Amino acid sequence: MSMGRIWQRYGGGPGQLLASIASLAIAAAAIIGWTQRAHDLKAVIEWFIAAILLHDLVFLPIYSLADRVTIGFLPKRAGVYLRAPALISLLLLATVFPTVLGFGARSAHNLSGITEHGYVARYLILTGALFALSGLAYALRGRLSDER
Amino acid sequence: MSKGPDVKSRVLALRPDPDRPPPGPFRPGFWRSPLRSPQLTAMLGLVLLIGLPVVAITGLLSNDAYQPGLGANALGRHTHGPLDLYLFGWPAGGPSWLYALSQGAHVTLGLALFPVVLTKLWSVIPKLFEWPPVRSPAHLIERLTLAFLVGGALFEFVTGILNIQYWYAFKFDFTQAHYYGGWIFIGALIAHVTIKFPTMAANLRTRDAVYAAADPTLSHGATPGLIAVATDATAVPSDATPAPTCPFPHAVHDGLSSPNPEPESMSRRVLLGSVAAASGILFLQGIGQSVGGPLRALAFLLPRGATRPGPLGFPVNRTWELTGLKRSVVADGTWRLKVTAGQRTVQLSRQQLLAMPQFTHELTIGCVEGWSTTQHWTGVRMIDLARLVGADPSRVSVTATSLAKGAYGQATLAHEQVSDQRTLLALKVNDLTLPLDHGFPVRMIAAAVPGVHCTKWISEIQFDEV
Repeated sequence: MSMGRIWQRYGGGPGQLLASIASLAIAAAAIIGWTQRAHDLKAVIEWFIAAILLHDLVFLPIYSLADRVTIGFLPKRAGVYLRAPALISLLLLATVFPTVLGFGARSAHNLSGITEHGYVARYLILTGALFALSGLAYALRGRLSDER
Repeated sequence: MSKGPDVKSRVLALRPDPDRPPPGPFRPGFWRSPLRSPQLTAMLGLVLLIGLPVVAITGLLSNDAYQPGLGANALGRHTHGPLDLYLFGWPAGGPSWLYALSQGAHVTLGLALFPVVLTKLWSVIPKLFEWPPVRSPAHLIERLTLAFLVGGALFEFVTGILNIQYWYAFKFDFTQAHYYGGWIFIGALIAHVTIKFPTMAANLRTRDAVYAAADPTLSHGATPGLIAVATDATAVPSDATPAPTCPFPHAVHDGLSSPNPEPESMSRRVLLGSVAAASGILFLQGIGQSVGGPLRALAFLLPRGATRPGPLGFPVNRTWELTGLKRSVVADGTWRLKVTAGQRTVQLSRQQLLAMPQFTHELTIGCVEGWSTTQHWTGVRMIDLARLVGADPSRVSVTATSLAKGAYGQATLAHEQVSDQRTLLALKVNDLTLPLDHGFPVRMIAAAVPGVHCTKWISEIQFDEV
C-alpha cells in the first residue's frame, strides 16, 4: 500500500496525527503527575467527566429548551430586547453564582475576616439595569423608525 | 463451507449507517438555531485564540513565581515529574507589582473569557452528535483530543472561578489540579489550533466575502440570512444579490449551520454584543479586585470587592482568628524570633528588631486569587538579618516558619529575593504597628512574590546556602 493510500485510510494528514499525538502525550504526562496523589486523581477524573457530561448533556439542553419554550411567548419585535439582557445576566450568574448565592461566604469570612451581605440585591439591581437599558434602546429605536 | 462472508456481513450490519442517523440530536435538522454557523464559531475561536495564550502563560508564570523547587513551596507535590518544569528563578529587582500584574491578568482574563468559552461550546454542540460517530482513525483521535479540550477547558475555568470565590466544592488539592489540568488543556488547545486554524481563517474570510457580496455599500447590519450563503447555497434570499461561488475550499458546510433554521429572533450582532457585555462586566470585576484602591468597588460581585475601613483595613488572606493561636504566644515577654544560618543562631525580641535600622518600602501583595493591595511596609532588611548570622545574602535562600501551622505555614524565598534591598521583615505597616490579622509580631514582605509567601506570625527564619 502506498503512503498516499495509508493516509487516505487514516483519514487525515501527518500534521493532524502529530499534533494529536503530542496533545495526548501531554495529557498522559499530566495524569502521571497526578498519580503522585492517587486520591486526587480519582476525584479529578470524576470532575473532568462530570464537567463534560453536565455541560453538554444537562445544562446546555436545559437552557436551550428554556430559550425555545419562552421564545413563543415573547412579542415578535420586542423579543430580542428581552433576550439580550437575559443572556447577559445569565452569563454573569454562571460565573459569579458562588458569591451571589453565598456558597463561598463562610470560607470568605474565615479567610478575610469580612462578612459581606447584599450580593443577591446587587446582582438583581444589575440585571434590572440591563433590562432597563434594553427597554430604553427599544423605545428609542421605535421612535426613530416612527420618524422615518 | 466458509463462514467468512456471513460473519463479515453481520459485523457490517452492526456498523452505523452514515446516511441514516438515529432520531434526535444525531440528525442535523434537530439543531434549529439560525445563529450557529462556521463564521460565528470562527469569530469566537479568534477571540479565544488571542486571550487563552495570555491566560496560559500567566498561569505558568505563577507556577514559576511559587518556586516549587524550594523548601516546602510545592505543598507536597513532587517536583520532578515530566511536566514539573519551571524555567527560571523568579526575578527580583523589578517592580513590586509584577506578580500582581501577571496574576491579575490571569484571573481577569479568565473571568472575561468564560462567557466566550460557554458560547463557543454552544456554537459547536451539534458536532458532539456527529453521524457517524467515527468516520476514520483520524476522526477518532481528533474526537479524543476534543474530549480533553472540552473537559480541560471546563475543568480549568470552573475550578479557577470557584477557587477565587472560596467555594471549595472539590475534594482535590486545587493548586496541583489546576496546574496539571492546565497542561491537559494547553496540550489539547495546541493540537486543536494546529488542526483548525485553516478552517477558522477561511471562515473569517468568507464572512467578509459574504458581507461584501451581500451589499458592497453595507458597512454594518448585514441581513443575517445572508450569512448562511457560504455554508448553504439554498438559503440565499431571493431578493439578494446572488453570492459568488465560494472561493474558500475549507469553508464548506461542516455541520454547524442548521439546514432548517427557525426564523431569526436575535441577530448574530446582538448575540456577540451580549456576550461581549457579560465579558466586559466580568473584566471590570477582575480589574477592581486586582488594581484595588478606589477601583475595588468595581468588584461588587466578587468577595474581594469588600473592604474594611481605615489604614489597616486592606485585604487579609488569613485572619488571626482562623489560626486558633492564643494571644500569649506573640506577647512581648514570650515571643522571640529565631534566626539561623548553619551553626549560628540568634534570638531576637521585637524590641531588638525595632532597634535595628528600619527601612520603608511601598510594596504590593499580589494574591494568586487575582486580588492585590499596595501598602507602606516598615521593618528590618533581610540582608541585614542574613549578615547578622554571618550569611552572604546573595548566596542563601530564606525559609520563614509561622506560628500558624498548615498550608503556607512555611515558605522559602530564593537568594534573588534575599539580596533584594526591599525584602523586609515587616514590623509596621502604614506607620502603625502591624495588627494581628496582618502578621504581628513580624511578617515577611518582598517585591513581586506570591502573597502567600509573605509569611505572617513568623517565629523562625533560616538561611540556607544554595
